Amino acid sequence: MNAGPSGIELVGVAKRFGERPALAPLTLTVAPGEVVALIGPNGAGKSTTLRILAGVIHASAGVARIAGWDVAAEPLRARLHLGYLPQRLGVPLSTVVGDLARLVAAARGVPAEAGAQALADAGLGDRLDAPLAQMSGGQRQRVLLALATLGPIQALILDEPSISLDVEGAEDVRDAIRAARRRGAAVLFASHHLSDVAQLADRIGVMVDGHIVACGTVSELAHTAGIPWSERPAEPLIERVYRALVRGPVRAFDTPLRVVRGGAA
Amino acid sequence: MTHAALFRFEWAAARRGRIVPWFAAGFALAAVGVALAGLSAGGVVRVQGFARTSVSLLQLTLWTVPMLALLLGAVQGAECQELEFLAALPAPRSRLVFGRWAAWTLALTAALVTGFGAAGLVIGTLAGAADALRYLALIGIAAALLAAGLALGLWIGVAARSRARAVGVAVAVWFALVIGADLVGIALLAALPARDATWGLTALLIANPVDAARALGLGLFGADVVAGPTGAALRRLLGGQGAVLLAAALVTWIIVPLRLAGRRFARQDL
Repeated sequence: MNAGPSGIELVGVAKRFGERPALAPLTLTVAPGEVVALIGPNGAGKSTTLRILAGVIHASAGVARIAGWDVAAEPLRARLHLGYLPQRLGVPLSTVVGDLARLVAAARGVPAEAGAQALADAGLGDRLDAPLAQMSGGQRQRVLLALATLGPIQALILDEPSISLDVEGAEDVRDAIRAARRRGAAVLFASHHLSDVAQLADRIGVMVDGHIVACGTVSELAHTAGIPWSERPAEPLIERVYRALVRGPVRAFDTPLRVVRGGAA
Repeated sequence: MTHAALFRFEWAAARRGRIVPWFAAGFALAAVGVALAGLSAGGVVRVQGFARTSVSLLQLTLWTVPMLALLLGAVQGAECQELEFLAALPAPRSRLVFGRWAAWTLALTAALVTGFGAAGLVIGTLAGAADALRYLALIGIAAALLAAGLALGLWIGVAARSRARAVGVAVAVWFALVIGADLVGIALLAALPARDATWGLTALLIANPVDAARALGLGLFGADVVAGPTGAALRRLLGGQGAVLLAAALVTWIIVPLRLAGRRFARQDL
């Protein structure tokens, strides 16, 4: 059932792969027009969280919602409002760009020309007949990003969107995220690039071992980590916060003040 | 999202693949080769007619088409695990599987029709058009077996989750269907009284798409004429409704694995 235009919601979502817990029950909300970044070491559960929201894997417990639609109970309605950029390519390499654009346009219920236009806007208008196999990793990423944001999406989820991109490509990703935010979409992305996080995120969730150990603005996280807050530049501060929260003993931050392990963020 | 959009997407991919023209050429060479080889033992190189070519080609088809379809289906099914971007689109995941099956079935059927059709033109020109309908029936049976093999292969691929495992299981299933079932049949005949063995063999025919296609083919070609006592026994075994029963079994072998593959893909984590 639709609970209203609430962007992205995770309520007590947990995941186990067999006997191995991958995600502790976590709760997180991304409001429309808000950008939240997930940071943390490999294996922290960032991708698992995003893939549950995209409906690619199924949660073992809890409820994940996109635009108010439960991704497990109403997957098609939820995905209709979702743009998702996976970490892996996610389509066959032999796929021709124009064919993919037509498919995504049909899926989102927009005219086929809109897909071609989105690619043209991304500077890929002359590559409609090219198979992805003949494109660079950065170009492929731009194709998928352009198509992920096609149509009236209310939520955008990106898993390591800047990975393998050059400076220009990374700026394209940041522009796409800013554009989605301007359109009122809730944006949740995972990244190891702290510069992206510093430039884009309204809030940052720090994940360790399947838990969100802290979530808040840069200043709130700095406070949590006991690091003096300064306005600029944010990136070194985020790095210090990251190191303190991720590499330090997590229990040291297990205070009622900011830590959200197993609780609401 | 409509079935049509997914079908067009998968069809475009299947059509561009180099595999289709190669298979068309392979089918054509096989058909012409069988037509020529049938009479070469008599010391002359002459093209045999449609009836004999069809029966000879049936056996070849029963070995090669399931192998081709199972392997291709298994690889395509295993690849579904990697379609994370497509799986996040607002379409039921089962439609991805169905679109893939439909596109590859059409592409390979086109290869089959092109290959056997080209050979048919040669046979018709050199040996006459008598029994051409039986040859067309053979193409139809091969297409049905192809569709069933692809559906079964897709299910194997989706369930196996890796290409290597999917291919291994597909080869094992092919062996079981093409050779293992015959061994079971022989064992049944040896071990059971004639009446019970008859029921057992009938069940085996229905439980195995390759045997169903074989029996259907022999029946359509006048089994007692072209396949001797074996064919006559087969006709007695199946009775008047035999062809309908076998065709229904083949269709079931398309629908059931396809539904199982779609359901499995919809429920599993990618």
